[in-house]
Amino acid sequence: MTTYETPVPGIEPTESQSEAVKIHGLLAEFESPGAVLKAAEQVRKAGYRWWDCCTPFPVHGLDGAMGIKPTILPIMVFFAGLAGLIAAFVLQAFTNSSGMTVWAMVWVTGYPYLISGKPLLSIPAFIPVMFELTILFAALTCVFGMFTMNGLPRLHHPLLGNKRFRRATDDRFYIVIEARDPKFFRTRTEAFLESLGAVAVEEVQD
Amino acid sequence: MSSIHVAKPDLSEGNVRLGTAGLGVQQGAGLVGIIGLVASAVIGFGGMFGTTPTFLMKSWTQNYMFVLAISLGALFFVFIQHLTRAGWSTTIRRPAELIAANLKWAWVGLIPFAALWLSGGGHVEGSDAAHSNWGPGVLFPWADLEALKVHHPAEYDIVAAKSAYLNSTFFWIRAIIYVTFWGVVSTWFLRTSIAQDATGDIRLTEKMQKWSGPIAIGFGLTITFAAFDWIMSLSPAWFSTMFGVYFFCGCCTCGFSVLIIAVLRLQALGRLKQVVNREHYQDMGKLLFAFGMIFWAYIGFSQYMLIWYANIPEETGWFLGRQIGGWGTLSFVLLFGHFVVPFVLLISKWTKRLSWYLLAAAIWMLFFGWFDLYWLIMPVVPADAMTAKTYMEVVEAHADASTHIFNPLNFTMLAGVGGIYLWMTIRRMRGSTLLAIRDPRLHEGLSFENQ
Repeated sequence: MTTYETPVPGIEPTESQSEAVKIHGLLAEFESPGAVLKAAEQVRKAGYRWWDCCTPFPVHGLDGAMGIKPTILPIMVFFAGLAGLIAAFVLQAFTNSSGMTVWAMVWVTGYPYLISGKPLLSIPAFIPVMFELTILFAALTCVFGMFTMNGLPRLHHPLLGNKRFRRATDDRFYIVIEARDPKFFRTRTEAFLESLGAVAVEEVQD
Repeated sequence: MSSIHVAKPDLSEGNVRLGTAGLGVQQGAGLVGIIGLVASAVIGFGGMFGTTPTFLMKSWTQNYMFVLAISLGALFFVFIQHLTRAGWSTTIRRPAELIAANLKWAWVGLIPFAALWLSGGGHVEGSDAAHSNWGPGVLFPWADLEALKVHHPAEYDIVAAKSAYLNSTFFWIRAIIYVTFWGVVSTWFLRTSIAQDATGDIRLTEKMQKWSGPIAIGFGLTITFAAFDWIMSLSPAWFSTMFGVYFFCGCCTCGFSVLIIAVLRLQALGRLKQVVNREHYQDMGKLLFAFGMIFWAYIGFSQYMLIWYANIPEETGWFLGRQIGGWGTLSFVLLFGHFVVPFVLLISKWTKRLSWYLLAAAIWMLFFGWFDLYWLIMPVVPADAMTAKTYMEVVEAHADASTHIFNPLNFTMLAGVGGIYLWMTIRRMRGSTLLAIRDPRLHEGLSFENQ
């Protein structure tokens, strides 16, 4: 483990990292869910924005401690579902119940076709397809919306190159503050993380 | 599962026992119940407001099915928690057990049915006034085949072919099996759970888990056939293999709604404080949303679409009876009130976490659970539905078919049966702890959080 210089209070750290290896951020290790929970609360209060917690299992209350805002994904899913519902209805009403000709990339004509004596525009017959497309649009939006908002897929993440971080899947709890955070200063942030009771603070290279 | 919150539950008597707090409501409910039943008897037997014996008996059946559905829904809740070894629900399982334990008295609802058989009245030959005479045929057309033959020969041929199943002896054997099974199982769950309050013995939980599997099978079979016997056989020519599942959805609607209402009311009375929180509200809301609305709509629509598509007169007649006259409007009220509106109102997370909002939604759904049974039981399939040439022919012939929804008997009967049921439930709640205080998974329920 690398040792660091003690931060001098009152002196602004110099930004001289451009010459060294570019760093991703600082990794702080905690021993218990309780410790990481308390620390997360402090990190949020200190006003950091680009940071995250990594734990081997879901820690109850961590979302609240980190101040994570509710995701907008449900709203996207709702409107995608609604779009699927309407699309399915329009598609069926057009193809089965109308003789209209419209341009959808090519010219297409509806084909009114009488099936078992039902009215041409029979909602009950359309509902299964409307249901399915609602689910399809909503589910795809949910999955790919989640991917996009999480920045996935990606082939590599700087944290995965860190040896210490391996215990995040076993028995240790981590807070990572990224270098791109406007409040991030190499030494000050490190001192801050140590003051939160981290058992170790380490630099993560990009 | 690790919990970082050290839960310090308040398990004092004041928090987990109702004591005298519910006494006023209990007595009021009992009083309303007695007045309601007396008023229903006066109206029904006196033939006031145009009621007939059939109307009286159907109204009884509807409200009996309503309270039965509440308890069956609660019973389902109890054993499904054991079956899945759920930890989150340990704090709300006892109220469900108490509501389910009312099934011990399910047989009481059969007394009016038995009275029909014992009244010994039969059909009136050659007169369409057959139903003004008491007898099992008043409610169950299949129980009086002679009258059916005279008045509805087309229907008779179909119904007579079902007599191996639909006959009085077998009907009563089945009825006794259902009420015995429900009574024994629900009482056993409550007693075992209460026994654990004293000993904290983990083996009691293991025993309940072990038996929940067979009980689930027995439950599925009994409620399916009970729905066939007591609701579907009111129109004996008609059949739907989905009907049992449809009734099961109704049980979930009523049972989960009442569970939510019970828990929230207990909290309003200062009980179960801290023990039940927003996380539990949300999950109870989810269950109501999933089973009581979406699954109900899914099954209801599946049943409708198959019959609508196949278009066979003996199947479509049942729906036809629910589309003529005022029934067409009520069918849409049911669709929107039971599914579309509450779906939108309860889909978001925050709505299920607000106690007043969830309470309002549960009361709404409970009403529509009752309304659904009204829609199932009260309509009469028009006799010409089997022989009519076109749909419009029947619709026009019955354009003024009344739904009787505003008949006072509907509401006196609801007050009567519902009042007695509420009296019984609160009485049971006052006699027991409201929390399974020594359940081995109680800490999971106490520290439960939705992710």
